[in-house]
Amino acid sequence: MKRFDLIVIGTGLAGLTAARTAIGMGAKVLIAGRGMGAITLFGNSVDLLGEIPPGREMAEGMASWISTHPGHPYARTGWEGIEKAVAAFRELFPPPYSFAACGRGNSLLPTGAGTMRPTWLLPVTMAAGASMTPPETLIVGFRGFKDFQGDTVSLHLKCRGVNLPLPRYGLEGVTAPALARLMDEAFFRERLGESIRQQMAGEQFIGLPAVLGLYDPATALKTLEAITGARVFEIPMLPPSIPGTRIFHRFREELIGKRADFRIGHPVSGVAVKDGRCRAIRIPNPPLVAEYHADRFILATGRFLGGGLRAKMDRIVEPLFDIPILQPGERGEWFGERFFDPEAHPIHRAGVMTNADLLPVDAAGQAVLANVWVAGSILAHHQAIEEKSREGIDIATGFLAAKRALAS
Amino acid sequence: MTQESKQTPLPKLPDVCVRCATCTAACPVSRVTPRFPGPKQAGPGAQRFRSVAEASVDDWIELCTGCRLCDTVCPAGVPISELNLMAKAKFLDERGRTFRDWLLVRSDRFGELAARFSKIVNPLMKKKIVRYLLDVLLGIDHRQTLPPYEYPTFRRWFRDRPARKGGGPEVAYFHGCFTNTNETDVGKASVLILEAHGRTVIVPPQHCCGIPRLGVGDLRGAGEMGRRNVDSLLRTVRGVDIVFSSTSCGLMMRHEYGPLLHLPGAEELAGRLFDICEYLLSIHEAGKSAVTFHPVSMKAAYFAPCHLRSLNIGLPALELLRRVPGLDISLLEAECCGLGGLYGFKKEKFSISEEIGKDLTEAVTRMKPEIILTDCEGCRMQIRHLTGLKVLHPVQLLRDALERRGICGP
Repeated sequence: MKRFDLIVIGTGLAGLTAARTAIGMGAKVLIAGRGMGAITLFGNSVDLLGEIPPGREMAEGMASWISTHPGHPYARTGWEGIEKAVAAFRELFPPPYSFAACGRGNSLLPTGAGTMRPTWLLPVTMAAGASMTPPETLIVGFRGFKDFQGDTVSLHLKCRGVNLPLPRYGLEGVTAPALARLMDEAFFRERLGESIRQQMAGEQFIGLPAVLGLYDPATALKTLEAITGARVFEIPMLPPSIPGTRIFHRFREELIGKRADFRIGHPVSGVAVKDGRCRAIRIPNPPLVAEYHADRFILATGRFLGGGLRAKMDRIVEPLFDIPILQPGERGEWFGERFFDPEAHPIHRAGVMTNADLLPVDAAGQAVLANVWVAGSILAHHQAIEEKSREGIDIATGFLAAKRALAS
Repeated sequence: MTQESKQTPLPKLPDVCVRCATCTAACPVSRVTPRFPGPKQAGPGAQRFRSVAEASVDDWIELCTGCRLCDTVCPAGVPISELNLMAKAKFLDERGRTFRDWLLVRSDRFGELAARFSKIVNPLMKKKIVRYLLDVLLGIDHRQTLPPYEYPTFRRWFRDRPARKGGGPEVAYFHGCFTNTNETDVGKASVLILEAHGRTVIVPPQHCCGIPRLGVGDLRGAGEMGRRNVDSLLRTVRGVDIVFSSTSCGLMMRHEYGPLLHLPGAEELAGRLFDICEYLLSIHEAGKSAVTFHPVSMKAAYFAPCHLRSLNIGLPALELLRRVPGLDISLLEAECCGLGGLYGFKKEKFSISEEIGKDLTEAVTRMKPEIILTDCEGCRMQIRHLTGLKVLHPVQLLRDALERRGICGP
């Protein structure tokens, strides 16, 4: 039996942020979850709120948006809380691989689907994407790498695109992690830079799939820019996300360095709750089950993909504590008519309701657990997909949940 | 009130896979060679097309090292490595195993003998002509370093040492084959560190855990080895905790004997088994240890073996090493050493193994440690081979910090 000050359930961005915040406050922390968390699927840049138009000052736009969305997780943290949490996130990524906003508001970032997506903080490897103009840009894909088609992406972005052969034999069917690993190799990226240079027709920007190395992306970027004489940027694409993996690795390095405990092989299977307080969690590793005790818990298990929410035939449930869930109506009402409905599907608004301290409450507003704080996308009253607010919610509520938990 | 979520155990079906590809990000093999399509395709992906009645067509399944990293990162709970292992077993059952594989998985049989004649065997294993013959006739790659044998063996050393006084609580030690015949100092250090923590060490009769046989998909053979161990360990040490110093032996006994091989008594045994650092740390954390360590001023790196991560017990060795004053210790940021047990000795797989190891070498170059510590004998062999640095089991350094003497060992 092991005892901790705080157990964080969930290894996504919300859980990692909560664990890091708590470690910074001197707590003994265990972080437990299923595998590597959703950050390795979608993590790229930091979205705060996509609907604030580029050009509008973020602080001002956010403050007024929050005042009109009193139920939203952002209303729990306030703009100040978001600012503080995001600043802490940025501290974790010192140069050369740092995150920054391009200007005072949102930027538009080219994606692997050939669209432009509004986002707030960009890693250094994507920064140039925010200032590219189509006639001056060349999009480069690689033959044998199926997850990113340079010519298709460029068609939508209305710029020129090529699919280049990779400078090594036997790479048919190569995966993003394999390509990223090759990009960490000086010789490989130099050869690649050279073959890109030969394809250029005076372009000032070059867009590549987001595979510029796992360990040394900043150097890969510098090398390619030096060889081509153009500004190079990564384009987010299909999972697994290399930039997301970089974020996970950085958190893990920091957390283990500061003596946090990780248990990520198996999902938490059960919890022990007595008199409205959680006492312990159980993690199975067949044939054994380990029990971990703590005074405080943070639930950051994500939505349906992460396993934090589960859809039954007639309702949505939270499988671990059976916390009351804000329901999206009858099953027939869960989804809108069209897949890309501009109005969010009602099911996206489902989630855990909380009080101002992020403690879970029932429909009457009564707290149902006294020492379990809730953070991240599992919270109700947001539409992270449509709003483009996923990382912002994760970082801001993860930060706040840890502060509230340790203040108790 | 105790709530247990109403989940039935996940079915061993590929359909729970959501195709997220996180496992592909973690797989050391598909990262270095497109010949292996990666855990997502090889496991749940290909499983949909496999049929018991039809012959296997997936010869690349043999390239899976069995590191199980895919399992540790999967967010959907897919038993990926087990799907791979079953497919590998079926493929090799049909194709037949080579004489080399037959021989290598029986190294426990001739280990004692080789150790007895280590003065002759060791120089022979270094001879170019011998390595050439092993390479050409058996397919054991001549570029891989073969581990030398040691005599007296650990068991002989333990039997011949003067009887200990003290009489603290008993603990049994599972040393594994490699410690017994090739790295006896790990065994000696384990015994001494346990005794320093007030334990009386017993060394019960034991056999190869069987994991080498699992590596070549020989489930029946692995089950036979397992049955012998469960029987003998339960008979000799009933009621006593058993510690292991090899994470692979430990993983095999604790988590494969029962869930995979369905051996009777496996569950009872699993509840008694502990990683040695996990065991020592629990003594320290319970505040029941009077042991303090002397300063060791060194820059050291700790590498977490794949099979330790599968045990899902955190990093107890790192936590213990942090209690040694003066030791500048940090975690080596690398995923896998690449040896994969016997995998890295096989001629057709050596280059894959070495390519995986390159990432670890890079991490070592970035960090510049004087010494590397890791719990798995395979990792130690491979890291020595790749970096030429001194590589020890954590208990060896802890023992040395206990005795205030220089750091010894290879």
